Amino acid sequence: MHLYALLFSQTWAWWAGGLGLGLTALAFAWFTGQKLGVSGNVEAVCAYAAPKTKVAPSWRGLWFLLGLPLGGFLANLGHWNWTWLYGRMDGLSLGSFVLKAVLLFIGGLLVGFGARWAGGCTSGFSLMGISRGNWMALLATLGFLVSGVITAQILYKVF
Amino acid sequence: MAPKKKTAKKTAAPQVPAWALILFGTLFGYFLSKSRATDFDTVLNMFLFTDTQLYGVIAVAVIVIALGLFILGRKHKAFAAQVKGWDNPPLDRKRLIGSFVFGAGWALAGICPGAVFTQLGEGKLSALFALAGLFVGVLVFLRVAPKLLKK
Repeated sequence: MHLYALLFSQTWAWWAGGLGLGLTALAFAWFTGQKLGVSGNVEAVCAYAAPKTKVAPSWRGLWFLLGLPLGGFLANLGHWNWTWLYGRMDGLSLGSFVLKAVLLFIGGLLVGFGARWAGGCTSGFSLMGISRGNWMALLATLGFLVSGVITAQILYKVF
Repeated sequence: MAPKKKTAKKTAAPQVPAWALILFGTLFGYFLSKSRATDFDTVLNMFLFTDTQLYGVIAVAVIVIALGLFILGRKHKAFAAQVKGWDNPPLDRKRLIGSFVFGAGWALAGICPGAVFTQLGEGKLSALFALAGLFVGVLVFLRVAPKLLKK
């Protein structure tokens, strides 16, 4: 019963989660010979709709992206349900569903645009880049965090 | 960058089977969820310095990967060569602006690209809006990219 809760409903301590993510990325590198990166896969899919880009279009990354929600499903199997609730975002959007949708869309847009501009996201840069001593990855990760801190302070401390 | 390699690239990299990609995606999503990286409040509290969870998660993951790549690479030269061949984006001030754009979105929507896909599996329907934004954002970037990057 405890094991079931640990595997399918509880969240984990920082060290356990980090260990899992690290080992997954390592195993991915070992078995596929490739660098794990989420936003790069999204970019390869989007490249079909941007014919002038240098990025090679590929839909195969969709298999990996499809796995992600499966993992999210399994991790919460013990208490799984559909929900529109979204933490403190519900307060930020003043209880307005439309405002929440717009804010989330803009946030996602900034994340997608910024990730590819920077050249990677939290997986390809912060995990796979820093661990290999890539300076751009370290710099970009600091940029992610500094900008996130500033944005959060403005949104939740000023307003 | 190197148009000559275009044909070589296609045959050089062996295709990873779909089941393996799904398996690794599932594992990654599972641990993202367990780490609380998919939880809006946890992400926000990282930026507000009221929860150090995700700083710890990133630090441990980076150490595990760095150590693992080092140890595996020492014993297996072919693997080390493969890892060396991964592309490393060069230092570029303009890319730093991109990272600030990313950070603003991360704090506003509480998602990084991996987390938003995972949230859908967790049943968080609101993630659909952020996911739509993600694809539009990447697509818009691809269309304007030549103006924003070196060369």
